[in-house]
Amino acid sequence: MGLVALDNLGIGMVLASDVLDRNGRMLLGAGAELNQKHLTIFRTWGVAEADIAGIDYVDNELPLPAEIDPVALVAAEEALLPHFKHSGTEHPALRELLRLAAIRKVLHGLC
Amino acid sequence: MAFADAPTYTVQWLIDRTSTVYSLPLFYDRLNEAINHPRTSVDDIGKIITEDQGLTARLLRLANSPMFGYFGKVDSISKAVTIIGTQQLRDLALAASVMGIFKGIPEELMSMATFWRHSIACGIIARALATWRRETNVERFFVAGMLHDIGQLIMATVLGELVRKMIEETQTEELLYFDVELKRVGFDHAEAGGALLKDWKIPANIADPVAFHHRPARAEQFPLEASLIHIADIICQAFELGQSCERFVPPLDGAAWDRLGMTPHQLGAVMKQAEPQIEETFAILTDAA
Repeated sequence: MGLVALDNLGIGMVLASDVLDRNGRMLLGAGAELNQKHLTIFRTWGVAEADIAGIDYVDNELPLPAEIDPVALVAAEEALLPHFKHSGTEHPALRELLRLAAIRKVLHGLC
Repeated sequence: MAFADAPTYTVQWLIDRTSTVYSLPLFYDRLNEAINHPRTSVDDIGKIITEDQGLTARLLRLANSPMFGYFGKVDSISKAVTIIGTQQLRDLALAASVMGIFKGIPEELMSMATFWRHSIACGIIARALATWRRETNVERFFVAGMLHDIGQLIMATVLGELVRKMIEETQTEELLYFDVELKRVGFDHAEAGGALLKDWKIPANIADPVAFHHRPARAEQFPLEASLIHIADIICQAFELGQSCERFVPPLDGAAWDRLGMTPHQLGAVMKQAEPQIEETFAILTDAA
């Protein structure tokens, strides 16, 4: 089992534990096999991640938009790093902000 | 030597100097009084707002902007009061009128356009984070975000030369602006901004988060609001949305992040929702009415 981010959930994955919405209401029980409708419902109710059976290691790096060149992305992250000098990128939230800011830079042709 | 030895300023001294230059439009007091009066009707509130045609136009455009999603259905202030709510409309009116107050800061010291872009972006993101959390009255988060750096403006007005030196020092020494302020002035723009809003009798649920946006752990009365503005400001700096005197992403208070109850993966979704609203809101609020 492992926590998989919403954007990385796929049809056919099997839940290792119940999925609750943010108010604690149960949306789908453990053992259910995900279909497209489930994913839509998760998104609607603000579910961030789900516990998936049969997964030991979770690479929660979200898939990149197809039009993004990974080399350009690394370059954009490096260009942004001095900006993060005082905040660091150790905290997962800042790591994610750096990644999102770099994607944005590449998409908008800002670098 | 670029700086005098020891900082000799106090927040109160700054506020006293400021209140002779800037004051809130009278209508805000009247509006507040009307809202707090138990027998006020929607029409009464509408009358006070519509006395200012420019403000009325901006509020209606805001109410019809993507932020609210009514798209052309809000055609009168009384309708806006009904749909958005009286306190929320008062908060929006505050946001829409504050931008007009600060004139006369030299452009080479601070660009007002980039300053307000940063401020509005912070307000929109704070509002989006609050919406995600299903908070009530999300407009107060918008206003607190929009006014979070207002202390920088009053310091630029009263202490212009010192602010120019501090911006220089921030750049050449690669320091955080609010650390330089603390060292050179004795307090930072967050504290100054919070004090100004209190002086203007703005409710504490807006003034406090402004005062503590760099130190959310010290906000005793409104810790969630302060945490949210703290995070929204960090997001703005990371995304380089507009620009205040600060050049770097401020350090994150981990407890403030935890209080938000969000996973990092949700940031992308919130930003996807917030970003398109920034330009539109900026255009509405900066449009000379």
